[in-house]
Amino acid sequence: MNKQRLLYMVFSLAILLSVSACGSSLILENVDYSQPIESVLVPDSEQIVHDQRYAVKFSISPILVEENLTEIDEIRMIRNSAGFYFVTASGFNNVYVFTPGESTLELVEKVFITENGLSQPAFNQRETYIELIDRNTGESFNLNY
Amino acid sequence: MYTLTKVTLSFITILFLILPTQLNAQQSDFEIIQDFRTGYSELLNKVENAVSTEDLTEIREEISSFEAQFESHASLINGAIYPDTFDGLLQGLESSFNTTNSNISVIEQLNSRVDVLVNEMDLFRNRISDMNQEMVTLEERIAQSSANESRQAALIRQYRLNIDQRDVFVSDFLEELVERYQNMDSSARSEISDASERLQDNPIEILKTILAEYVQLANSEISLDLSDYVSMRAQHGYFSGVWDRIGTRLAETFEPEGPVVAEQEVDDLLSAWQAAIDNNLWETLATSFSENDIELEPFSSSTEFNTALNSYVDSSYETSLESNREEDYQKFLNFNSFWNNTVKADWGELLTAGNVLTYSEISAIDIKLNNWGEASSPTSNLMFILLIVSIAVIVGLVVLLVTKKS
Repeated sequence: MNKQRLLYMVFSLAILLSVSACGSSLILENVDYSQPIESVLVPDSEQIVHDQRYAVKFSISPILVEENLTEIDEIRMIRNSAGFYFVTASGFNNVYVFTPGESTLELVEKVFITENGLSQPAFNQRETYIELIDRNTGESFNLNY
Repeated sequence: MYTLTKVTLSFITILFLILPTQLNAQQSDFEIIQDFRTGYSELLNKVENAVSTEDLTEIREEISSFEAQFESHASLINGAIYPDTFDGLLQGLESSFNTTNSNISVIEQLNSRVDVLVNEMDLFRNRISDMNQEMVTLEERIAQSSANESRQAALIRQYRLNIDQRDVFVSDFLEELVERYQNMDSSARSEISDASERLQDNPIEILKTILAEYVQLANSEISLDLSDYVSMRAQHGYFSGVWDRIGTRLAETFEPEGPVVAEQEVDDLLSAWQAAIDNNLWETLATSFSENDIELEPFSSSTEFNTALNSYVDSSYETSLESNREEDYQKFLNFNSFWNNTVKADWGELLTAGNVLTYSEISAIDIKLNNWGEASSPTSNLMFILLIVSIAVIVGLVVLLVTKKS
């Protein structure tokens, strides 16, 4: 009886594992999330930005807090092929790298660029990296992630 | 999304590299796209607003330069402007360019046609103006020469010649209008209509000017002959005929905002001209008949004139039938001579052209005139005398015979 019961339990466990394994076994690989060109987004009065083309909308207030700023005219955002969002703006010292979660953008990395703040930053999508340039200073940074 | 998060976490250990480099002319892809969009819009506007082939030549060069400038970024542009493409937008630009080029060709052809029209109108206006000046001068000279009859007669002849020249000139102008507008299709008229604002005087304005001058001429105090007024009426008939054929088209072409009013204005002037001619015509016509001892009933229209003629001939015919007097015969001869030698010979064509009398009305008078002639011819007494003589001879012979027997 115990043997039968054990056999039944092992069998049930095997079915359970098989079913759960089916749920996570489908993975599409080599997905390219890259935006060909950065999005330049103007926040509204509640510091919400909305990228109509790539269908993403979020508040930049936490980022402004990080940068000790109360408001900005526009932010620049680009997504690399791996799907990370790169966000910065004129006056920022850093580039923020986010990964999308369930109704969230989670900070993956806060990349320090300059103490003086970026003057006229812009992102360019390059084959293997994101290029950050400051059109005012002529500086260029290759962001590999 | 969950999968992505897991993947992201697996990448967290990957080295994050910042490689600052110094470049002199850093360019943002975003700016390139903005420049492309702005340049494209400007070129499209330039193409759509071009008004001459010279403009298009410049724009063609700009398009080539624009294409060369952005060709190396075609891939970037394609990604940024999806679902549009770099090649697609340039083809659209090319298509707009070709459309505008075609439109400009049509416009330039139209412009040259309007230029011709403007020149013709200028020439016409100047010629009419010269003629008016000549007429005014002649009127003044006629008034001044009242003391010298022969000189005045010569001036009046010159005056008449000027009227004839004006009629010929106006008729040529009208014929040209007919030729140009009678069979012109609606699209061509519409194009001319669009460009007609450039005309200082469009054909309708010119026609109104001509008519106003004709009205003034018909009301002139210079004493003209009946043939002059009949001639004017013929010109009026021709003018009215032309206007009936092309008036509506001209009004729609040159007065598109108020064609009915424009047409009515010309109609009113034509009526005023006819009234001015008729005032003089009926009076002069009655006087001409009267001066030849032909007293017609009063008349003030073509119908009344025809009635008066028929009434005169009918009543004279009746009288001749009744009395057959010599004076009736003389009356016939007088009317017959005036009718054939003056009315028909000198005025016949003008009377029919001017709608004073029709050919059938003239023929009807001719037939009645024949009857009148036969009725009024004096009857011969020879047969009556021969009869009397014959009777007298017979009576004489009878008397002689009786006398011999007794």
